[in-house]
Amino acid sequence: MMADINYQVAELAEKARAGDRASLEQLVNHFHEEIFRMVYYRTRSRMDAEDLTQEIFMRMSKNLPGLKDAGRIRPWLYSIALNRVRDFHRKKRILSFFGTTTELDAVAQATAGSSNNPGDNVIQKEFQLQFHRFTEGLSRWEREVFMLRFVNHLRIREIAEALKKSESTIKTHLYRALKKFRENPEFRDLLRGGVL
Amino acid sequence: MKSNDLHLNEDQVIRSVVDENDLSVAVRDHLSTCLACQRKKEQIEKELTSLCRMAKESAPLPRQEIRLPFHKPRLWSWRPVFATGLAVILLIAGVWWYGLVTTSKEKMTAQIIGEAEKDRQLTAEIDALEEYAPYDFYPDISGESDPDYFDEFLEFVVPLEENQNKEA
Repeated sequence: MMADINYQVAELAEKARAGDRASLEQLVNHFHEEIFRMVYYRTRSRMDAEDLTQEIFMRMSKNLPGLKDAGRIRPWLYSIALNRVRDFHRKKRILSFFGTTTELDAVAQATAGSSNNPGDNVIQKEFQLQFHRFTEGLSRWEREVFMLRFVNHLRIREIAEALKKSESTIKTHLYRALKKFRENPEFRDLLRGGVL
Repeated sequence: MKSNDLHLNEDQVIRSVVDENDLSVAVRDHLSTCLACQRKKEQIEKELTSLCRMAKESAPLPRQEIRLPFHKPRLWSWRPVFATGLAVILLIAGVWWYGLVTTSKEKMTAQIIGEAEKDRQLTAEIDALEEYAPYDFYPDISGESDPDYFDEFLEFVVPLEENQNKEA
């Protein structure tokens, strides 16, 4: 099932690379939500995530002819997205240095739950808060690797490609992040509540 | 005791979640047969699956469509319309406020000038009153306004001796 999807995506990427607009649109539709979510959890701002997602796909369509292996579209797209997010944070840091931007309470802002059920929204807010606290306790690479693996569901090989690091380095960061995850009973309790 | 009889420690369980192939053959063999160790590993995996699901549910969905280079530019978008509307409102408010400030300044200046003029008139009246305290008709009665009349009047009240003799 997963292999089928991967094959279809690779086929779309191959056609899009050859200039097929319909395939490019399908490819964008396939990754839109996933990339938006990836950016959202790194910016914690819906508006910024919308703008960055747009930029990422523009860059994807521009650089697609240069993609060597269509089967590697996913890690390739994630590497574009990660670079854009990094640029965004760099710009934000520069702006905040000059005092032209204010640091918003990101967690309080990140309340745009998709559910209409108030109870669900409370759980979602709590999740965002706990998740934010947990990831803040990780080093930059631990956080990146953990999120790519367990939020974005990339395989270790894909993460290594997206971050341009060796698989053993990725595994080391993942191991350390998981160790910290195990030492966070509050967050795990919340997730266990979600499991039930 | 053989090594594959030992349960996995915390580190080994975590390593099995990262990549089971990184464990030694003996530990892998134990994991494949030990229900307790499998349960430990599954518990972590369940939590991580729950994390992935909750992360998906808690994130908003994108609202904007992705515009690709070959897409025609949108003829209408709420953002520029909103920005233009806001700019027009601000411009009108600015002009109105400036007009209000200017008008009130002019009004204030005219009022101050008027009051100063009134003050000046009042001061002049007071000065005049100080100089000529009695009303105008008093000098007429007293004869002060006409020096000849004053002499005649004195002559009438206290006639000179020579004039008295003449009359006699």
